[in-house]
Amino acid sequence: MAWITKNSATMQIDRREEPYLSEALKAKLEQEVIPRFPTRQAATLPVLHALQEEHGWLPYQAIEEAAEFLQLPASRVLDTATFYEEFWLKPKGRYVIWICQSLSCELLGNRQLVEAVQRKLGIGPGQTTDDGRFTLMNVECLGSCGTAPCALINEKLHENLTVENLDRVLDSLE
Amino acid sequence: MALAEPVLLKRIPTPPWGDFADRKLVPYEQYVATGGYAALDQALAMDPKAVIEVVKASELRGRGGAGFPAGMKWSFLPPEDGGRRFLAVNADESEPGTFKDRVIIEYDPHLLLEGIAICMHACRLDTAYIYIRGEYHHQRHVLEKALREAYEHKIFGPGSRLGQINGRDVHCYVHRGAGAYICGEETALLESLEGKRGWPRIKPPFPAVAGAFARPTIINNVETLATVPFILERGADWFKSMGTPRPEGAPPTVPASYGPKLFGISGHVNRPGVYEEELGVKMSTLIEQHCQGMRHGKKYKAAIPGGISMGVLGPDEYDAMLDFDVGKKHNCLGLGTAGVIVMDEDTDMVAVARNIARFFSHESCGQCTPCREGTNWMYRILKRIEAGDGTTKDLDLLLEIAGSIGAMPGTTICGLADGANWAVRTILNKFWHEFESRVTKERYVSLAVLNTR
Ligand SMILES: Cc1cc2nc3c(=O)[nH]c(=O)nc-3n(C[C@H](O)[C@H](O)[C@H](O)COP(=O)(O)O)c2cc1C
Ligand code: SF4
Ligand code: FES
Repeated sequence: MAWITKNSATMQIDRREEPYLSEALKAKLEQEVIPRFPTRQAATLPVLHALQEEHGWLPYQAIEEAAEFLQLPASRVLDTATFYEEFWLKPKGRYVIWICQSLSCELLGNRQLVEAVQRKLGIGPGQTTDDGRFTLMNVECLGSCGTAPCALINEKLHENLTVENLDRVLDSLE
Repeated sequence: MALAEPVLLKRIPTPPWGDFADRKLVPYEQYVATGGYAALDQALAMDPKAVIEVVKASELRGRGGAGFPAGMKWSFLPPEDGGRRFLAVNADESEPGTFKDRVIIEYDPHLLLEGIAICMHACRLDTAYIYIRGEYHHQRHVLEKALREAYEHKIFGPGSRLGQINGRDVHCYVHRGAGAYICGEETALLESLEGKRGWPRIKPPFPAVAGAFARPTIINNVETLATVPFILERGADWFKSMGTPRPEGAPPTVPASYGPKLFGISGHVNRPGVYEEELGVKMSTLIEQHCQGMRHGKKYKAAIPGGISMGVLGPDEYDAMLDFDVGKKHNCLGLGTAGVIVMDEDTDMVAVARNIARFFSHESCGQCTPCREGTNWMYRILKRIEAGDGTTKDLDLLLEIAGSIGAMPGTTICGLADGANWAVRTILNKFWHEFESRVTKERYVSLAVLNTR
């Protein structure tokens, strides 16, 4: 739920020596992204996307480093990050299965898909398998209603899904 | 009255002119070889104000949901003052049932880029951001590639055909959202673009005056901009030869429903997809001719005219004409995005209402209490009814909550709550018996009655 503050950080902050926002990434962002906007803050989403692409999720230390890069208080960046469903403030599985639950997909049987994944992987929406391979998520309309029901697995859209072909797709992923 | 030839989909194979299976990306060379970027050259030879006049004369209305006349919006910009002016292209497409902008971006991205370039010339905008929803990964990559081609061919960038605008090189960027329906609302989009959470702004000021980075900003939907090159090329009269005129006797200030329009049809039909038709096409035509009828030979029961915010059309509204006046004629909010969701006789309308209420309670940005709380109450009540634990009192309560949230009753900042209101209220009103049969009767004696006895 977009407006509920996620359980995003605890008082105990894991830190590591090596920065998440590497010098190379900083240089790239400085050159390609920052000049696009009149303010540095506007680069918040691109910077968070870049960090998440590299590390899989956004540890609090990465948020702090992003904030320093953007010349903002860390709370500002955290405030933005918590609003959006695509930003992960805790680790996610190697594959995130986003099953659409909006109307066209429900009319055409998305429930069976969710149940099948639950049975196969033993995880409910919002959970990750113990081996860290899969996270299951419910998501609202993926803009593919004409080929419902559908699911996004990481960046790839799977359309016209049935329990069988979703099963096959999952088996094909390591 | 059917569309004689495809317009927006001229390069995107679509029945009856082509086959969905033949759809593939139109690269720059092919776009130009089929007449692409000619309208831009035509626009560049014209005075910017004259370009706005053509768009105004066409009475093109926004395709993003609200139907606001595009030419009028463009003419609200204040005079240039040498400072920056922005175009925010709304490619957030997240309204359930809507998948039309995606087709343009995925197969004919230069059509959008040409529309953007023409708009920037006409409105004197130096920087464009295409705000694309985070989940459109493939589409984002396609767009980025097309944009590189456009820079190479001097549509944008230093030395561009547009020259300098506001003393600056003209730029166009793809900006990726991160999964929030509300960022499709134009001022939430601007907040998000500025790197903040997507909280809609209180208007006025309107974006044309103070938008992105507090500077004059035009916000238009992908399909709206993609329509502009055709209007320039073929003229306002050609555009107005399609669609439905304003109602008899209405003053010229009432906008009509002209032009071709993309309709995305999903749900219980044989061949769902994005089709192009004239505005005012009957829903029955879309279902029977384009979608080859209802699935499994079932009977039509209900449909959403244009994204779930618009409410429903009932069993007796099968022949509804889909234009911008559909709301007035059929007691729903309007045409919206023209994302039609068709439901057959076996559909459980209580479940439909529950699904929709869940969507809005999930996507409410939480800024306004009536929206944040009201959508969630409605969701919980509908879940209760679906589970068989509802009472007749719940139905009244639903109507009361729905009717008291929204920008129209004046309790919220943006239109999301209105959408929730129309969706729940029209489903309940048009399928009252279905809800009634699912709840138990509760004798309800109001305090007012007790006091008079
Ligand atoms: C809750 C909400 C969500 C919206 N989502 C979208 C959207 O995803 N895409 C879009 O183009 N317009 C959306 N709109 C409409 C925009 O606010 C705006 O009217 C539109 O982008 C203007 O462009 P147009 O005049 O070309 O249609 C939304 C409006 C509201 C209230
Ligand atoms: S109406 Fe709802 S979505 Fe819109 S600003 Fe208010 S709380 Fe946010
Ligand atoms: S409803 Fe599932 S993709 Fe639109």
